[in-house]
Parts: sequence; structure tokens; C-alpha cells
Amino acid sequence: MKFEDIELGDDLPSEHPDVSMARVVEFTDAANQPFPRFRDHDSAKAEGLPGALVPGIMSQALLASMVHRWAPGCTIKKLDTVFRGHLVVDTTLTINGAVTDVDEDTRTAEIDLTIASAEGRTGVMGTAIVSFD
Amino acid sequence: MADHDTTNNETPIDLDAIKEEWIGTEFDLTTFTVERDKMLLWARSVGENDPRFVDPDHDDFQAHPTYSTSLVSRRALPKDFPRLGKNGIDGGKAVENFVPIREGDTLRGAATIAEIYPKTGRSGTMIFVVQRMTFHNQNDEHVANVDWRMIRN
Repeated sequence: MKFEDIELGDDLPSEHPDVSMARVVEFTDAANQPFPRFRDHDSAKAEGLPGALVPGIMSQALLASMVHRWAPGCTIKKLDTVFRGHLVVDTTLTINGAVTDVDEDTRTAEIDLTIASAEGRTGVMGTAIVSFD
Repeated sequence: MADHDTTNNETPIDLDAIKEEWIGTEFDLTTFTVERDKMLLWARSVGENDPRFVDPDHDDFQAHPTYSTSLVSRRALPKDFPRLGKNGIDGGKAVENFVPIREGDTLRGAATIAEIYPKTGRSGTMIFVVQRMTFHNQNDEHVANVDWRMIRN
């Protein structure tokens, strides 16, 4: 996706990110967050959670990766995420995004992003500011 | 007029006084070393396939733009920070990037309280406390800010 081709209101292609336990364990190793609530369903349920949770910052990183696939070579200048609800490991999540602003002077685009559970509940909302060469 | 709020029907909180005392106060300084293996594991675990983040031989190899969100201070809030409400919720993080983070960088992360503000919803009044980590590399370049919203109610 080139900057010249972006229009206000464009939808990014929906994605279903890999939040399998194997990926989440890898991520929590990289993030130095080896907490049972992220890495083991039984441990999470013992805490009263519905299952092992996708870490909030992993959700944030998944949003960034999606933006990179939509516009290879772009630079994410800012990514703000609100954690609204739990997203569970080993479930089907859906990421959606839409372009909400385009600035010709700075060659940046603003994108609103969401991650929803299989039941359609929004767990994470994000806003990205992306710059283009 | 002072900005007072209550949470859970407790003694009114003087937010103005708390802001005056704590906003801008640096309460933690931690050093982080950016390692290739962690950079790669991070990027690959979130399905990244942009070569800038997954190919160490790429001319522009760098940490994923969200990598700094994992670099945390030794304490979330300053020692002696007032206890606001009974419960705490993670409200999310915002990362702002200025300069790419590279393999081998030594990052200096300084933690401050950036904002404190109330919001009222169906469940009552919540106090938002924003902790900001500001990262500089070994060349004293400002590489990133990470704001962490902590919600107290």
C-alpha cells in the first residue's frame, strides 16, 4: 500500500492472528512475562479467568504487525491501545482496521484498530499513526 | 476550586494536591540491553514478516515498534504514592517512537507520573494514573515513550 493510494475510510483486510499457546509462550519469554495467567489455562482459571490470557502488549504488537502487512515499509510512529476486556489464548480473534485520517503534509495516516473475540466482544481498541516515505 | 473526587464512597481525594506533588517526578531509572534473540522472538511470535524486524542481516534491522512496551520500571508507582481506590485495572499502553531501537542498544528508561485525571462512568468514578517511561539510547537519543494507563476505582 502506497501513501498515494490511501483514502479516508479505507478498510484494512481483516485478520485472525495466531494466539495459540505456543505463540503466547514465545511472546511472554521475549517480554520477560512468564506469568502462569498467560501460559497455562488451568492456572488462569484458578485465578477466576476464563482461560489463559493474551497479554495486552501482545495484542498491541499484533496490531502493529497487521499494519506492516497492509503497508510494507511504513513506520508506526505511535500506537495507543485501550485494554477493554480479556482475550483468551487458543481462541479465534479478529483484527479489523480503518483509515480515519490522512495528512498529505506529513505523509501520515491515522488508523483505528480493534481486536474482537470469537463472540464479537471488543477486547482491545487501538489507534495508530503511521508515516510513509 | 480544588478538583476533588471520591472513589467507592471513601474520603474525598484532593486530586489537585496529588497532581501538584507527583506529576513530573522521576521515580525510577532502569537500564536495558537490547538483545538480538529477544528482538527476533518478539517479532516472530506476533507473526511479523517485515524483514526490518525479522532479518538480522537487513540494513535497517531494528526492534519491533512495540518492543519498548515490555521494558518496565522496577516499580509501577512511586514509593509513598497515595492509594487511590481499592482496585486497579490495566487500562492500556501507548508507545511513541522517535528513533529505531537497534540490536546492542543500551536504553536508559526513566519513569515519571505524566498525568492523573478522573473519569466517571456507570460504575462510578475512576482515577486514571499515567506512568510514562522515557527511553534514551547510549548516544543520548530519545528513542521512545511508553505511557501506561493504570485505572484505580
